Amino acid sequence: MAKTKIVGVGEFAVSKDPEEVIKTFALGSCVAVIFLHKPTRTVGLIHVALPESSISPEIVRDRPGYFADTGIHAILQKMAAIAMPPGSLAQGMVVKIAGGANVMDTNNTFNIGKRNVLALKKILWPLGMGPVTEDVGGNISRTVSVSVGTGKIVLSSPTKGEWEI
Amino acid sequence: MNRQEKEIAVRQAIKNVPLISSAVARLLELSGESEHGIAEIVNIVKYDAVLTAQILKVVNSAAFARKAEVYSIDHAVSLLGEDMVVGIAMSEAAGLLFDKKLEGYAAEAGSLWRHDLKTAIAAKIIAGHARTEVNGDLAFTCGLLHDLGKGVVSDFLKKTPQKIQQAMEQKKFPDYAAAERAILGLDHAEAGYELSLNWNLPAPLPQAIRFHHQPALADEALKPLVYTIHLADIVAMMSGVGTGSDALQYLLDTAYESYIALSSDELAAVMLGVEQEYSKVAGVFWGKEEEAPECA
Repeated sequence: MAKTKIVGVGEFAVSKDPEEVIKTFALGSCVAVIFLHKPTRTVGLIHVALPESSISPEIVRDRPGYFADTGIHAILQKMAAIAMPPGSLAQGMVVKIAGGANVMDTNNTFNIGKRNVLALKKILWPLGMGPVTEDVGGNISRTVSVSVGTGKIVLSSPTKGEWEI
Repeated sequence: MNRQEKEIAVRQAIKNVPLISSAVARLLELSGESEHGIAEIVNIVKYDAVLTAQILKVVNSAAFARKAEVYSIDHAVSLLGEDMVVGIAMSEAAGLLFDKKLEGYAAEAGSLWRHDLKTAIAAKIIAGHARTEVNGDLAFTCGLLHDLGKGVVSDFLKKTPQKIQQAMEQKKFPDYAAAERAILGLDHAEAGYELSLNWNLPAPLPQAIRFHHQPALADEALKPLVYTIHLADIVAMMSGVGTGSDALQYLLDTAYESYIALSSDELAAVMLGVEQEYSKVAGVFWGKEEEAPECA
């Protein structure tokens, strides 16, 4: 049976173990970014909660993954460390994102899901890692699991069952 | 059953819910009073043997990692603080409603309790942003109780989650509560309100429960509190801890701005604070820092 690695809010995981599944639960307005580095068969998943670390710099040291602006760099650093030999990580990297749900009739303040998605894209694009697939927005809370061996990403929600992205 | 028959059945089910103990009722009442001390809490708790035992069990649990065993209830209550004591009391008193699997919301056992606890924590923090004073302890208690009605109506909503979801996508209902009303004649907020009246909960609580999705309908004097609970519920859902099929399926009433001052950065800080506090408290209720599914 596959080993499952659970990623909590503001956490990230990187794995090269083909038997492993990386899973994160109930994203709400949070966003999961999944990195599939094909040349080295390395998979990373991060559960980002908020767009900017400036609201609480002291959290960054313990949990950089909490924020879009610090989390992406933290997980890529770990992926680079694991997926040596060095080289451009962007080459052969496939990035997918899921989550970023919104509240119905939201205003700008409560628009965190949308702001998370935008913040992440602004960081990913200049790195040449713009998401090729996204399943974001709407009013559903998504659970995400990625099989490291196959790169298969399955999303689920209480009423919609399971689907792949 | 047609809608009228269902409504009668739900109202009867509310009447059949066991009453809470007088100690718990008094504890809830006390948390709503602006001036009260920890000694008064101890005085209530120490005459309820079951509650005393549960509080000692929690304070001596691994999550608190004390060097020495705590035997005195006075010491235990002062270590845990009022909110934790109220939380433990409610999970004891209404555990059957909070903890059961809610088929009517496609929610696993414990999902509602997690949502209520997160809403309670959020309510206490958001209370600090109210434009006029809102008692943080009272907000916590209201947050804990706001979805009490789901434990009752869920039994009458079996096999509805997917149908409601589809109807919501087709914009047949403005929100999930409206769908509940269309099926049952009343929604979970009203069911919780009726139950809170049966339990003789102190004045602000029934209104906070009844109007947490329609805060504009609350009495003017209670609107700061009710909007606090309204936002706290939404913050909990945004953080991924909704009950189940209804997560994020409610409207945000932006008139909250008249009662609660929250900038984007402040809301982000609130969400961060809620997450940190929740992971601490969840450890007490579930034995370790939460990493279990919040809602699958």
